[in-house]
Amino acid sequence: MTSAEATESVHSRISFYEDRRGILSWILTLDHKRIGLLYLIFVIAFFFSGVVLGFFMRLEMVAPGGTIMGPQTYNALFTLHGIIMIFLVVIPAIPTILGNFFLPIQIGARDVAFPRINLLSWWLYISGATVVFFSVFTGGGPPDTGWTFYAPYSLRTNVNVPLAVFGVFILGMSSILTGINLVTTTHRLRAPGMTWKRLPLFVWAIYSTSWVQILATPIIGITMVLVLLDRFFGVGIFDPTKGGDPILYQHMFWIYSHPATYIMILPAMGIVSDVIPVFARKKIFGYTAIAISGMAIAAVGSLVWGHHMFVSGQSDFADILFSFLTFLVAVPSAIKVFNWVATLHKGSIVIEPPLLFCLSFIFLFSIGGLTGLIQGALAPNMHLHDTYWIPAHFHYIIFGGMGFGLFAGFHYWFPKMFGRMYNRERAMRAWAVMFVGFNIFYFSMLLLGWEGMPRRYWDYLPQFRTLHLAATFGSWILIAGLILMFSNLFHGLFKGKKAHDNPWDAATLEWQIPSPPPTENFEKIPVIQHGPHDFKEFENNG
Amino acid sequence: MENREEKIHPPFPLSPEGRGRGEGELQMVKYRTYVFVWMGLVTLTILTYTVAVGIHPGGWAILVALAIAGTKSSLVLNYFMHLKSERLLIFKVIIPLVMAVFLVFILLTFSDVVFRGVVE
Amino acid sequence: MDEAKAPVFEGAIDYTGAKLGMWLFILSELLLFGGMFILYTVYRYKSPADFHHASKELDVVLGTLNTIILLTSSLSVAVSITALQRGGRRLSAVLLMITMALGLLFLVNKGFEWTTKIGHGIYPNSPILLARPKGEILFFGLYYVMTGLHGLHVLVGVCVLCVMLILVAKDRINPMHFVPFENAGLYWHLVDIIWIFLYPLFYLIT
Repeated sequence: MTSAEATESVHSRISFYEDRRGILSWILTLDHKRIGLLYLIFVIAFFFSGVVLGFFMRLEMVAPGGTIMGPQTYNALFTLHGIIMIFLVVIPAIPTILGNFFLPIQIGARDVAFPRINLLSWWLYISGATVVFFSVFTGGGPPDTGWTFYAPYSLRTNVNVPLAVFGVFILGMSSILTGINLVTTTHRLRAPGMTWKRLPLFVWAIYSTSWVQILATPIIGITMVLVLLDRFFGVGIFDPTKGGDPILYQHMFWIYSHPATYIMILPAMGIVSDVIPVFARKKIFGYTAIAISGMAIAAVGSLVWGHHMFVSGQSDFADILFSFLTFLVAVPSAIKVFNWVATLHKGSIVIEPPLLFCLSFIFLFSIGGLTGLIQGALAPNMHLHDTYWIPAHFHYIIFGGMGFGLFAGFHYWFPKMFGRMYNRERAMRAWAVMFVGFNIFYFSMLLLGWEGMPRRYWDYLPQFRTLHLAATFGSWILIAGLILMFSNLFHGLFKGKKAHDNPWDAATLEWQIPSPPPTENFEKIPVIQHGPHDFKEFENNG
Repeated sequence: MENREEKIHPPFPLSPEGRGRGEGELQMVKYRTYVFVWMGLVTLTILTYTVAVGIHPGGWAILVALAIAGTKSSLVLNYFMHLKSERLLIFKVIIPLVMAVFLVFILLTFSDVVFRGVVE
Repeated sequence: MDEAKAPVFEGAIDYTGAKLGMWLFILSELLLFGGMFILYTVYRYKSPADFHHASKELDVVLGTLNTIILLTSSLSVAVSITALQRGGRRLSAVLLMITMALGLLFLVNKGFEWTTKIGHGIYPNSPILLARPKGEILFFGLYYVMTGLHGLHVLVGVCVLCVMLILVAKDRINPMHFVPFENAGLYWHLVDIIWIFLYPLFYLIT
C-alpha cells in the first residue's frame, strides 16, 4: 500500500490479475483477492479428493460384505473423507475464498486489516493439508478412528493418528488467524458512511463466523495436542487406565466441533441473504433480525455440543439440558428461513443460477434442520444415534446447505471474480441434476438410518440392500451434476463471454467496481449513503 | 520532542468510530502507576500464599485463591495492558466475553460430570 | 502487525486495529489454556484428596518465587514500552533485557522443578507415577502439560522480546512507530496472567 500517486492510479486501473505476474507474485501475494483465489484452487482440489473418497465408499456399500475393499480400508476412507471435507473444505471454504475476496470490497476497503497474516493463514492451510496427506502414507497408514478421533481408541490404534491430529492443529491455527483478520477488518476498515446497519448481510455472517473461529477453535487445538502428548508421552488425560475420562475427550472435541458446524453454515446463510434480495428485486425482509440471528446462532450454537453425546454415558441432566438448548438454537435459524421466504414473497423474481442454488438451499437446509430437531430429542436419539440418519442429517445441512450456498456464491460472484460469464442454461441443468441426485442419495440414507442401519459399518444385513443401492445410485447422479457444474464454470473461466461490471444489477459495493477488480479495489474510497439493497430502480423513489 | 504519536493521515480513511475519538493517541502512563500496580500484585501474591499455607481456610480455599488471582489479573489487564484506558466498546467487551464463554463451557461440562450416576 | 514496511511516516498504520488484532489473538490463547483449565477443574472435582496430596510434592517456595519473577517482568516490560514512547531508548533497551533475563530465570527455575521431579521418577507414564492413585496421575499429567505449554509460551515471549530489542536498538521501533512493541508487551502480560492462575491451582491446594 504505497502512497505514491502514480502507482496508486495504476493499482486502481488494471485488474488485480495483470498487476504482477509469475507464480511468486501469487504465493507471496498480499492481495486479499489473490489469496482468496489461492484458497479456491486448493479447496476445490480437496473437495474433489473428498468426493472421490465418498464415491469409493458408496461403491463399497452398494452391496453387503466386501465389494471392492476390506473393513480397515473402509474405516480409513470414511475417516479421511471426514477430515478432508470438514477441515480442508467446509470449514475454510466460504470465509477464506469468498470472505477474503469480497468482505473488504463490500465494506469499502482496499484489503484486510493484516494482509501478511492473511498470507500466513493460507500457508498454514497448505501446511496442515500436507501434514494430513502425509498421514495417509506414513506411520502405519491413515487413521481409522473417524474424523472425531475418539479416545481411548485414538490413543491406541496403530495408525498415523499423530500426524493427522497435528495437521488438524495446524489447520486450526489458520482458521483462528483468518477469524482475527476478518473481525479486525470489519471493525476498522469500513468506508465512511458504512455503518454496521448498512453492511451487506454476507459481512454480518462472516463477522459472526469469525468470532466462533477465534473463540472455539483453540479448544480443539488443545485437544489435539493432548492426543499427541498421550500417544508420545503417555500423559493419560483421556486414558481410563490412568484415570482419564474418555467422555471428557468428547466434551472437549465437541465444544469446538459443534460451533464448527456454525462456522460452516453461517457464511452460506450470509450468501443466501445477499443473493435473494438481488433476484427478488426487493429489500431483505427483516435485515436486523437476520443480522442479529446470525450472532444468536453463533452464541446459542456454542451451548449445544452435548447433543452429540446423548448415548455416551453423559449424565441424564446434561442430556436434558443440551436437548433443550438444541431446540433453542433452531429458533434463529428458522427466523432466517422465514425472512428469506418473506423477501421472495411479492418480489420480482429473476430466475438465475444463483437464485436456484439459494432456493434449493432453503429446501435442503430445512430438511436438515428438521431432522436435526428429531435427533435432538432424547428418545429418538437413542435409536438414531450412530445410524445412517446422522450422516444423512448433516449432509443435508452441510452439503445441501453450505455446499449449495457455496455454489450459489460461486455462480453469483463468478462474473466479478473472473470478468466472464458461465453458460446459464448449463448451470441450471447441472443444478437440477445435482438436486435430484442429492435427494435420492441422502433421503435414502435418512430411511436407512430410520430402519436401523449403523453408520461407519463396512457390512450390513440384507434387508438394507435396496436403500443402499438407491443411495449409491443417487451418489452417481450427484457426482455427475457436480462434474457438469464445475466443467461449466471452468469453461466459462476461459471461454465465457466477457461480463458486465454489474450483471445482476445489485447494489452492494463489489458491483460498483470493475470486473475483475483492480488491485486496490477502489480508485477512491467511496462515501456510503445507502444500504445494501437500494437497487437502481428504486433510486428515484428514495 | 513530541511524545505523542502524530495524527496520521492514511491514504484511506479509518473507520467512522475511529476518527475523532482519541484515535492514534497513546496512553502515557506514569512510571509511578506501574510501580504501584506491581506492589499491589506482589502484596496479593504474598496474601494468597499466606492464606493457603498459613490459614487453611478449608473449603473456601479455592474461592479465595481464585478471587485473588482474578484481582491480580484484573490489575495486569487494566494497567499493564491498558485496558482501562481503552475507549472503544470492543475493548470493553472482549474480556467479559471470553470469561462468559469459559464459564459456559465449564458449567455445561459440569452439568455432566456432577450428575453422573444420578438417574433423572 | 502493521502493513507498512516503508518508513515510519507512511500513513497505513492503524494503531488501534493492530492492537485489536493482538487482543483477539490473546483471546484465543486464553481459551487454549482455558481448555486445560476445564480439564483441571473436572479432575480436581473428581479427586480432591489426590490433588491435595500430589500438590504437596511441588515446591511452593519456588513456585511463589517464580510468580514474583513473572510479575516483576511484567513491570519491567510495561515501563520499557513507556520509556520508549518518551524517547528513552537506552532505558527501554535495558528494561527489555531485564524482562528477558527474568523470563529466562523463570524457565531455569521451572527446569529445576521438572528435573527434580523427573529425578524422583515422577513423570508421565513413569512406573512410580502409574503406581499412584489415579487422581495423582492426572494431577501430574495436568501439571506437566500446563506448565510445559506455559513454559513454551514464555520461551516464545523471550524470543519475541529479543526481536523487539533488536528493533529498538536499530531505531526501527521508536516513538513514532511502536505498535509491535506494545503488542509484544501484551503477549508477555498474557503469559504472566496465565501463570497467575496456574500458581494457586497447582501450588496452593490446601
